Amino acid sequence: MDDMSDINGEDPDDIEDPDDTDDLGFDLLEEELRQAAGILDPVPAELRQIAVEAFALHDLDARIAELTFDSVVDAIPVRGAVDVPRMLTFHAGGVTVDVELTAQGLMGQVLPPQSARIEVLRGPQAGAPLTTDDMGRFTYGEPPAGPFALRLRTGEGVLVTDWLTA
Amino acid sequence: MDRADVGALVQSAVDGDAAAWKALVEGLSPLVWSVVRAHRLSDADAHEVYQTVWFRFAQHLGRIREPEKTGSWLASTARHECLKVLKSLRRLTPTDDPQVLDRISEDRTPEQSFLDLEEAAADRERIRHLWQEFEELGERCRLLLRVLMASPPPSYQEVSAALGIAVGSIGPLRQRCLRRLRARLEARGAA
Repeated sequence: MDDMSDINGEDPDDIEDPDDTDDLGFDLLEEELRQAAGILDPVPAELRQIAVEAFALHDLDARIAELTFDSVVDAIPVRGAVDVPRMLTFHAGGVTVDVELTAQGLMGQVLPPQSARIEVLRGPQAGAPLTTDDMGRFTYGEPPAGPFALRLRTGEGVLVTDWLTA
Repeated sequence: MDRADVGALVQSAVDGDAAAWKALVEGLSPLVWSVVRAHRLSDADAHEVYQTVWFRFAQHLGRIREPEKTGSWLASTARHECLKVLKSLRRLTPTDDPQVLDRISEDRTPEQSFLDLEEAAADRERIRHLWQEFEELGERCRLLLRVLMASPPPSYQEVSAALGIAVGSIGPLRQRCLRRLRARLEARGAA
């Protein structure tokens, strides 16, 4: 009965011949699924439009400050803690931007300390303008939700942080 | 989308051609959307992740090393952003996410008019049943098939990037999942 062990191990859903490799039939079924998705779960038109307008974010002159730390993936979760701030760090060249997201809003610091003008971007449109203090610190009183990035104008030029979903 | 086309469109978009960008959005939006939907985010989160992916692509346009692999880049970016959103603590509160099927009754999409046609009633039933059985498949099959059903069909490299699985395992897994789905549909037909 040893040769039956494979059958016993089969998933009950696989009631058909497991050697069934009916490629044409599978292709047709996949195509039917594609049609169904196009009808029941298409890309929402307003989202497509937002993506078209996102071309305005194309800016080869700005340097990208890459996300190098995100507490959502890089930190140990705090058990039982409610409303833990999300900590983010971005790097571009010699500049570091540390950001903390809380339910109250956004706090951050540009390092080495320097004054900079900052925009909180939510999409292709201009964002809310902020100015850092002399230590490079800044706050924003609205909790970001959804896609966001920061655009910084420093003495050395324009930096934009990687986009992420708050 | 054809890789050579994608590479050329990306180059034109880098040079400032808005029509090329639009063509990229048209051609690759369904892939991004499929990856996001496959990960079963709430509607609100799905909308946000979709936008983040395109904003990041616009930002990185001209800096992507292999423009012909843009589909894989988008799929992989979407996957990572989905996993992050699922992981983030504030998202642990379950949201009320209406079932996709419920949308049939909402009078919103242009496809609705097609579904309302009398002569399409049989199609509507068939599609509804197909979707229902698809939704009830196991997690892995649901994930894979939701990505595969993007239109135009994604390459296996794109599927691999979307799901973090080896290209070589996609074919066998696809057959297995489609076989299960067919078995479910047949069982339903027989009942």
